[in-house]
Amino acid sequence: MDPIEIGLWVSGGMLLMVVLGMRVAFAAAMAGLIGLIWIFWAKKGMEWDQLGWALTVAIKTAGQVPHSKVSSQTLSLIPTFILIGFLAYYAGLTKAIFEAAKRWFAWVPGGLAVSTVFATAGFAAVSGASVATAAVFARIAIPEMLKIGYNKQFAAGVVAAGGTLASLIPPSAILVIYAIIVEQDVGKLLLAGFIPGAFSAVVYAILIIGIAMIWKNVGPPVTGFTWRERFASLPAALPIVAVVVIIIFFVYNPFGDAWGTPTEGGAVGAFIVFCMAVFRGMRLAELKDALLETAKLTVMIFTIIWGVLIYVRFLGFADLPGAFAEWISSLETSPMIILICILLAYAVLGMFMDAIGMLLLTLPVVYPAVMALNGGEFVSAADSAFGMSGPMCAIWFGILVVKMAEFCLITPPIGLNCFVVAGVRPDLSVQDVFRGVMPFFVADAVTIGLLVAFPQIVLWLPSLAG
Amino acid sequence: MAGSSAVLEDSSILSRLDRGLLKLETFFALISGIAVFMLMVLAVWSVGGRKFFASPLAGYVDWIEAAMPFIAIMGIAYTQRMGGHVRMDILIGQLKGRALWAAELLSVVLILLLMLALTWGAWAHFDRSFDMGAPMWSRDSSIDIGLPIWPSKLVVPVAFAVISLRLCLQIWGYGRALVLGLERPVAVPLVQSAAEQAMAEAEQLDGRD
Repeated sequence: MDPIEIGLWVSGGMLLMVVLGMRVAFAAAMAGLIGLIWIFWAKKGMEWDQLGWALTVAIKTAGQVPHSKVSSQTLSLIPTFILIGFLAYYAGLTKAIFEAAKRWFAWVPGGLAVSTVFATAGFAAVSGASVATAAVFARIAIPEMLKIGYNKQFAAGVVAAGGTLASLIPPSAILVIYAIIVEQDVGKLLLAGFIPGAFSAVVYAILIIGIAMIWKNVGPPVTGFTWRERFASLPAALPIVAVVVIIIFFVYNPFGDAWGTPTEGGAVGAFIVFCMAVFRGMRLAELKDALLETAKLTVMIFTIIWGVLIYVRFLGFADLPGAFAEWISSLETSPMIILICILLAYAVLGMFMDAIGMLLLTLPVVYPAVMALNGGEFVSAADSAFGMSGPMCAIWFGILVVKMAEFCLITPPIGLNCFVVAGVRPDLSVQDVFRGVMPFFVADAVTIGLLVAFPQIVLWLPSLAG
Repeated sequence: MAGSSAVLEDSSILSRLDRGLLKLETFFALISGIAVFMLMVLAVWSVGGRKFFASPLAGYVDWIEAAMPFIAIMGIAYTQRMGGHVRMDILIGQLKGRALWAAELLSVVLILLLMLALTWGAWAHFDRSFDMGAPMWSRDSSIDIGLPIWPSKLVVPVAFAVISLRLCLQIWGYGRALVLGLERPVAVPLVQSAAEQAMAEAEQLDGRD
């Protein structure tokens, strides 16, 4: 059996294990290990007396991966970003940012909903947790909206959709993971996420204002805040802005040299949020909880990373990604149509799978294919299919798949954000939330269309960083 | 997408062993969490030293690389105990009773075989860099300040051995549920629906805002 055939069997087996409910990280690692054994054994002609040798070499090859792959400075960004997220709950940032957003934006039609979108976008960005953000703001923002006569479903939809803005605006752990798997510049990916994330929030806001202007009873404006009150609300919400700005400036400083590395930016951001949490009276037991939660989520992510990297080590021997890339670039269909099909496949997959697991499992095979579609990893913009150089295409595709993964959090049948909002509010059914989130679903589809049609929205900021 | 799940307890030997092992797992996970915190302190120190005192922290990258296995791997058994490793539960979530326990049992048996193999592989990786006769018992060291690498390599087989113990307990737990046809067995993470997970998530965050 040739290596590609072994690659197909093993990858098929891995997908089967994942579908049957095996933990993703272990399914990937097991597929990798079995694949390595198989491929080494096949090299020795599948002789029975060589099986022991193949087993030993494969296990020793796989056994190096966890230590050697996680011992990297770049990967240390992931735990710091996660720590920021868990400390953020204790820093009193949720109410502070909602209050500030309310005082600054609630005067427009649908103002409280617009404020909710900006507040959730800010908090989701810093906490990096879409689902948890939706849970928190369902308790803070929905009661306030209902109090002044908002439609119940609409209010729920705003919160569920707002939570999805977590993964693009820096700090974003998922973009770091993407950058590492595809071996691209982490800093540029973090920068690239900012404008599409902010753009999505603005699209949501425009949509809300439009709805509130057409249907007058949907979301009445809230007026009466003085400028003094507005400015008074800012200091408490400042750490959120500070974290985002610091991470951007540590990667790219438009006024001079970057302040340092993204890792340092993440750590300084975490330190600011930690100081704020201590200032707000975080107790030692709460710090312990935050550290345990950070450890749990970090380990979960890293287990998938090294599990998938064992699988990737095997894929290297089997050359499956190369064969898939060759096949996809030999198709007659236009590269753009193929890219759109890939994105739609992610939309379907994302309905059933966690974003990180989905990206890590598929990218080792899909990413080289997308690069091949564009004309190769080192292609210049002039010779490429999508009109951008190889590294830029990598950034653009990363932002698109992450946006797709977030989009899946509000798509039926198991958009998790909608379940969370309904779970927190006993007066709302899941169907209510799905109905309320419908306009945002359409807005997201439009946003993704715009990001595909106008890649400059994504690529402008990272191209400035050189 | 199981993020975390409920684990039931009672006074049986299995449940007592489960809670005993949980103490060790929690200790390991806490080391991992404290290492993340130290990572933050180290980076702030490094930036502060460089920016304000023109004296960057020596061996900053070496320290981070040495800390990463503690951060990324030590808590692996704790996460398994809590049902925190993600999976796709659309099919397995539909199963009930013995069919569910059989599927879970098969899954943990396979994971145990994998982890035993990787414990051996990771131990071999450690063993190649450890030498009682060498300075600092080390055959290799980090580039900048020459930290020995074997301690961080040793973390991996140790953590993998602990998750192997956890998997043995889970095999016992699911096996018992399968044989006795239990509804809600102890010492194993139970599958939760999306709505239950959402409630758990909301409760966990209760009072934090």
